[in-house]
Amino acid sequence: MKTVFIDCSPKKRLSASGFIMGLTELFVLGKKKNEKLRTPADHERILSEISDAETIVFSMPLYVDGVPSHLLPFLKKMETFCREHNKTFNVYVIANNGFIEGKQNEPLMRIMENFCDRSGIKWCGGLGIGGGVMMNVMRILLVVFLGIAVLRTILSLINEGSFFPVRPWIVFGNQILEVLALGCGIITFDIWFANCINRKKEYGKHYTRIMLPSFVFIICADLFFTIISVFQGGIFRGWFSRKKPTE
Amino acid sequence: MKLLIYDRDITLSDSVKEKYDRVIFADGRYAPCQGCFKCWTKTPATCVMKDSLHEMCRIIGLTDDLVIVTENWYGGYSPVIKNILDRSIGMSTPMSTYRHWQMHHVLRYGRYNSARIYVTGDISDKEKETWKLMGQRNALNWGVSDVEVIFSDPFSDGEGADL
Repeated sequence: MKTVFIDCSPKKRLSASGFIMGLTELFVLGKKKNEKLRTPADHERILSEISDAETIVFSMPLYVDGVPSHLLPFLKKMETFCREHNKTFNVYVIANNGFIEGKQNEPLMRIMENFCDRSGIKWCGGLGIGGGVMMNVMRILLVVFLGIAVLRTILSLINEGSFFPVRPWIVFGNQILEVLALGCGIITFDIWFANCINRKKEYGKHYTRIMLPSFVFIICADLFFTIISVFQGGIFRGWFSRKKPTE
Repeated sequence: MKLLIYDRDITLSDSVKEKYDRVIFADGRYAPCQGCFKCWTKTPATCVMKDSLHEMCRIIGLTDDLVIVTENWYGGYSPVIKNILDRSIGMSTPMSTYRHWQMHHVLRYGRYNSARIYVTGDISDKEKETWKLMGQRNALNWGVSDVEVIFSDPFSDGEGADL
């Protein structure tokens, strides 16, 4: 069984879609291949890669209540490809959005289901994730925390001659547990999703989220964008102003 | 302001153009959104990609009545129209709020009156249902009071007199 995972995020690196796709891939058995779909130059390569696949997993962000615009021409080409070659793929979709409610991915899921109907391929369902971007930020933070734990260990070795100070690693262990607690819904649904891929079963449509109350998530999101806007300078360039077109 | 965005390569009659303050033909000669959020965090209400869409969020944000004519693509917008919408998220701010008990972004330009979406081309019943949901979701996200999805081709007379 060959499964092709297609990361449809337009971002070059560190995309939440790519991260969640990678997480899913850990639990999928058999031959696997990863593809990145960003530009029309990727289309033919991906079509060639899926030609001998049994299962295709699309992972994408929600853009304005639907699929990102750069993906649509590929879907049209794939529809033609499937019809011309009588392909019968199993198609699964992972969608993540910046809002906390995974349910907001519903229109995207329906679009992908309609695409499968038109292409004559099997819609096997999708997983919609709310606040997926937070998981992505946390995995980056975990790398930073790991670096801090290593640094504290080296400093302890230099200053106190202790080869393995326990404290930095207890702190790091706690940080891992916190991330796992916040992401337990996503991880659980993801394992279930991967299990359906392995058994070629229909998953249906399911929605999950970061395990935070929405008002806390909103505060975190607002803080995140405020900090980024300070560093990038947007906060000083009419952050909320009702700007008029210049032409 | 009244705005018409359409994706058909057609010459509109003067009487149609006169009904609108701004008419935009989605010719597809622009890059897709890169998801960088710099229209929120670096250059508010301006896309960092310098093409014909770099201030599109301002135009859509200042609109009171929006009319979109789009070909049906699997129950959603055509790529050229979707590209315009994807590149226009700067019409909201990065701050979040609740609308209808769900998380959404605070609107930079406030609410607007109406959106009419004409859907053209071959469309299945299932896709029509998707469109109805899409209209509701868009209305919520854009802060539109009144949204209507119409499954008919306003260009059937050749120049869009029905618009």
